Amino acid sequence: MKTFDYLEPTTVGEACALLKQGRGEARVFAGGALMTILMKEGLLQPKTLINIKRISALKGIDFHPAQGLAIGALVTHHELETSKTVKEKLPILCAVEKEVANIRVRSMATIGGNLASGEPLTDLPQVFIALDARIRIASSSGERVMALEDLYIDYYQTSLAEDEIITQVIVPPAPERSGIEYIRFSSSSVVDKPCVGVAARISLGVEKACQTVRIVLGCVGPTPVRAKKAEAVVVGKPLDARLAEEAGSVASGECSPVSDLRGSEQYKRAIVGVLVRRALARAYEDASQS
Amino acid sequence: MKKGIRFRVNGVDTALEVESHLTLLQVVRERLSLTGAKFGCGIQVCGTCTLLLNGKPVSACSVLAVDADGSDVLTVEGLAKDGQLHPLQEAFMEVGALQCGYCTPGFLLTAKALLDENPHPSEEEIRSYLAGNFCRCGCYQEIVRAIQKVAGE
Amino acid sequence: MEPIDVVEPVRRLDYEAKVTGRASYLADLRVPGMCHGKILRSPYPHARIRKLDASKALSVPGVVAVLTRDDIVQDQGIDPYYGPVFKDQTIVAVEKVRHVGDPVAAVAALTPPAAEAALDRIEVEYEELPAVTHVSEAIRQGARLVHESVRIPEHGFADLAELKPVEGTNICTHFKLVKGDIERGFAESDHIFEDTFTLPTTQHCALEPHACIASVERDRRITVWSTTQNPFVVRTQLANIFKVPVSKVRIIVPYLGGGYGGKVYPKIEPLTVALARKARRPVKIALSREEVFYTITKHAAVIKMKTGVKKDGTLVARQCEVLLDTGAYAEIGPRVAKKSGYTAAGPYKIPNVKIDSLSVYTNKPPAGAFRGFGVSQSAWAHESQMDIIAAALKMDPLEIRLKNSYEEGSEFVTGETLTSIGLKDCVEKVASAIGWKEKGEHRPDGPLRRGKGIACLIKATITPSISSAVVKLNEDGSVTIYAGTVEMGQGSETVMAQIVAREMGIPLKDIEVLGVDTDVVPYDLTTSSSRSTFHVGRAVQFAAQDLMQQLKRVVAQEYAVPEDQIRFSGGKVQLPEAVIDYREIMFKHFGMQGGTLVGQGQVKTKVVDDRGVKTTSSFWFLGAGAAEVEVDIETGKLKLLKYVTAVDVGNAINPLGCRQQLEGAAITGMGQALFEEVVFDNGQLVNPNFVDYVLPSLGDMPVSIEPILIEIPHLEGPFGAKGIGETALIPVAPAIANAIFDAVGVRIKELPIKAEKIYLALEQAKKKL
Repeated sequence: MKTFDYLEPTTVGEACALLKQGRGEARVFAGGALMTILMKEGLLQPKTLINIKRISALKGIDFHPAQGLAIGALVTHHELETSKTVKEKLPILCAVEKEVANIRVRSMATIGGNLASGEPLTDLPQVFIALDARIRIASSSGERVMALEDLYIDYYQTSLAEDEIITQVIVPPAPERSGIEYIRFSSSSVVDKPCVGVAARISLGVEKACQTVRIVLGCVGPTPVRAKKAEAVVVGKPLDARLAEEAGSVASGECSPVSDLRGSEQYKRAIVGVLVRRALARAYEDASQS
Repeated sequence: MKKGIRFRVNGVDTALEVESHLTLLQVVRERLSLTGAKFGCGIQVCGTCTLLLNGKPVSACSVLAVDADGSDVLTVEGLAKDGQLHPLQEAFMEVGALQCGYCTPGFLLTAKALLDENPHPSEEEIRSYLAGNFCRCGCYQEIVRAIQKVAGE
Repeated sequence: MEPIDVVEPVRRLDYEAKVTGRASYLADLRVPGMCHGKILRSPYPHARIRKLDASKALSVPGVVAVLTRDDIVQDQGIDPYYGPVFKDQTIVAVEKVRHVGDPVAAVAALTPPAAEAALDRIEVEYEELPAVTHVSEAIRQGARLVHESVRIPEHGFADLAELKPVEGTNICTHFKLVKGDIERGFAESDHIFEDTFTLPTTQHCALEPHACIASVERDRRITVWSTTQNPFVVRTQLANIFKVPVSKVRIIVPYLGGGYGGKVYPKIEPLTVALARKARRPVKIALSREEVFYTITKHAAVIKMKTGVKKDGTLVARQCEVLLDTGAYAEIGPRVAKKSGYTAAGPYKIPNVKIDSLSVYTNKPPAGAFRGFGVSQSAWAHESQMDIIAAALKMDPLEIRLKNSYEEGSEFVTGETLTSIGLKDCVEKVASAIGWKEKGEHRPDGPLRRGKGIACLIKATITPSISSAVVKLNEDGSVTIYAGTVEMGQGSETVMAQIVAREMGIPLKDIEVLGVDTDVVPYDLTTSSSRSTFHVGRAVQFAAQDLMQQLKRVVAQEYAVPEDQIRFSGGKVQLPEAVIDYREIMFKHFGMQGGTLVGQGQVKTKVVDDRGVKTTSSFWFLGAGAAEVEVDIETGKLKLLKYVTAVDVGNAINPLGCRQQLEGAAITGMGQALFEEVVFDNGQLVNPNFVDYVLPSLGDMPVSIEPILIEIPHLEGPFGAKGIGETALIPVAPAIANAIFDAVGVRIKELPIKAEKIYLALEQAKKKL
């Protein structure tokens, strides 16, 4: 690893100003789970590292009935996994977190870092997108809020500008009678990175018809992707086995997996089909029971 | 760039001047001669370099030493207190939860973090919490048994 | 044979140091004046080195020395060619590089980063050559040669003397074995089965990477601290390379963080010594995880098996062709191929057998010993095919095995008689423990299907071999054991102490087992081949007995008692009128608090015993495994629900240690069966790291792995014990594949059995319907 200047700002404004000054050669550092590996392998050689861990405004998890769940960017995976608030309001997040990487990574790595990394083989983005999550972003010139779905551009590429930092993830309250399911599929060991990850959310309208449907496919393309055609198959109808099957088969055509160590393109598409069907069925059941 | 850091290591206040790019594993092993944490994979997968940082398990190979400024660090050398082995150390020996021993410091510290967080974990919780530590000799069943033994006491 | 009294629990002697972090492994050691070495490695699988200029590397601050081919070729004090079987390896590449990661040059510097920076300044001009990266391609006529010629050492291993490279080809060795008349056998068969099975390259993945510290004194005395499983073989090799007597070479081995075969024979020792010699100060080299993958692997294999059977399931003829991918250097591949060949037909009584087992050069990292040593490859084939045959004949897989399997007194393929063969016991016990009778009773649950499978094996240990031991009685009655076994996790230290404790009647706390230092402990061939308890343990036992004989003579003399009236019991000596302990005897004998009595023991096994009978193995490993799996037919995802493993252990000296070894071997076998594979792309390693080369974790464990110890005492083992380290690994993959067939009716013939393979096989089966 090459040496670098190391700074520890205590406010978001200060951090953004330092980033701007760095002109692309400064990097935000929080949990450091991915960053230290990239630096050790020489893939990233920043002149300046801006550790934002001393910024207390970026910590903590809050819930407001109207706005929903607000998760600070510095919240670690393990904090999310074990948060009482989250367990009560959005237990799916705790369940998903149990399977993310390993306990050491979950103890260090932050939610903000995970989302900002653009890492394709991960779990949380799919789930947050299925929940219509938004992210709050600060920069040296102000603040903006965007749908998480719009953050991702390509492998490890996001629409964040050089001086921008994700400060918060906001998960709006789900409509009544909603159900959500996430299925992480590993093609070998349980500790392997996911081969495919599928999140499905269904909110019911009248007569047990699916009113809002989100199907988000992860690990099967440069970015997590919403299977909108598959969503359309289900919207407005009560879910049955045939419909779930159809949605699965449509979804498998809506992603762009590549063949790699974790499976061939063809296999990943087949798995997407199976997982979408299963996730929809469970989300629907969950919604029907709530 | 060099930076002064202060942290507590196994209960001892420690002040050091370190290069910004050094990892906590390098500093603990080379500067403090605490070699219980081992290098294994260098990418946070295997768990042989596990240390507890403010009570939480981390891969010391991927933590910047400067980032540990102000923290409390526990290494396997700090598990025993006043000449008394930690109950996990006793249980690992009694049940036979190790062979070559290279992964053992990492497993012990991870198990400690688990029990501190959840004193009576189910077998499923133990398996899940420790799934990220490799034991190539394959003492997994004994490791679970050793932790259950301590949790049951 | 009197069974050993086992006092449980025996706390292992190495445990306290290991749980407190005080145990030193090689990477924890520092030597005064030490600098750090790094290796420049080939980026190509096959290339000629046109030019190599290291002058700029020397100008990097902190660099002490740079080692290139010029240093080893021009130095009269170095023979640049080495290798345990053939001298086909060089310390750094001389003319060609033969695999990605092949060492090209090395730098010693004051710090590791300085050494790394210097590597970047070494200029190498390569001429890329076409690479052969698969055995099937390598043995074709006209294939590009990995080695144009191979040097044969004058004094090689006795058991490999007849094996030579086939000139003008990539065939490193070709072992042949024939019994009966194979063609007549096929002619007499009612059914003939032909199948091809494959296994990929895998890696040992000991969590401790290889490391070495070397120091060369002015008088050319070489001291090496190394992560080696066979220090005496490394000593011989270094003595040959650096042209000094073995007395000038000292190898010290601390605790190893796992070996599994990956640390036998020279690895980075020759290079580290050469670099230290050039640097004129001690050098330490500690490999990165990626470099470990370039250093040693397990043989990939393609195995063709043709078997003729009678209608009733009697095996009549079996022909096996085993192609083992030994990579760029022979390493110990010739022996792996030979051992794979001996048992390629499986643990069965077959009158007509023809075996061809080849080690083949390719442009891949060298393959060598791996727990199971060639047999995990051949067993994948014969045990899978046994179930193919059983299914075709509508026989129970258990029944066909019991019908054909070796038993006490059976004739082996070589014609010799097999003794101490607890195979049927192993097979029956695992079948019962997995619930074989209830097989097929489980109802499908949605997309989930369950099945059970079984597999068994026979394996040889290295023969001939030599082990020696010294046991020293100190003046206070305490004992020190000197033996050459490396403690790499298997618990040998404790077992050696238990043997002496039992023999001399003293408690473990009074016994010290010395670490391995070739200047101090007597010769032992190797800590591998699951041989230490049987051979070194026996030598230790003989040494203790020798010591007791001496004590008896001393007592007879000092106390004027006839020898036949002296009885040893519980660490004391019973005389007609008194009971005395060892300390008193020593004091009386030496007349002061001082003195030492030394006992020694030797074990030498032979390929032809004293009666002129051929012996392939000084004892046989027998075992069986049974698996219960659950398969998701929509995704191919497999869950191992339960695994049972039974091994004929002779007599368990440390039952807990035996169970650990069985479970551990089974878990490594699971990894090899289900997901481990080094993936190559044109000779480049795609996944030399733990993110992409996945090891079995606690999250992958079945609800239970049940080890069963079958105890049939071996007449020549210490207290009846046999070796057990490798046996349980071997049947895992075929047992799982057989269970998959039982669950969903598809046959997987290529390892590893990832979910996608099962899925594709199921899709294929659907199409056929």
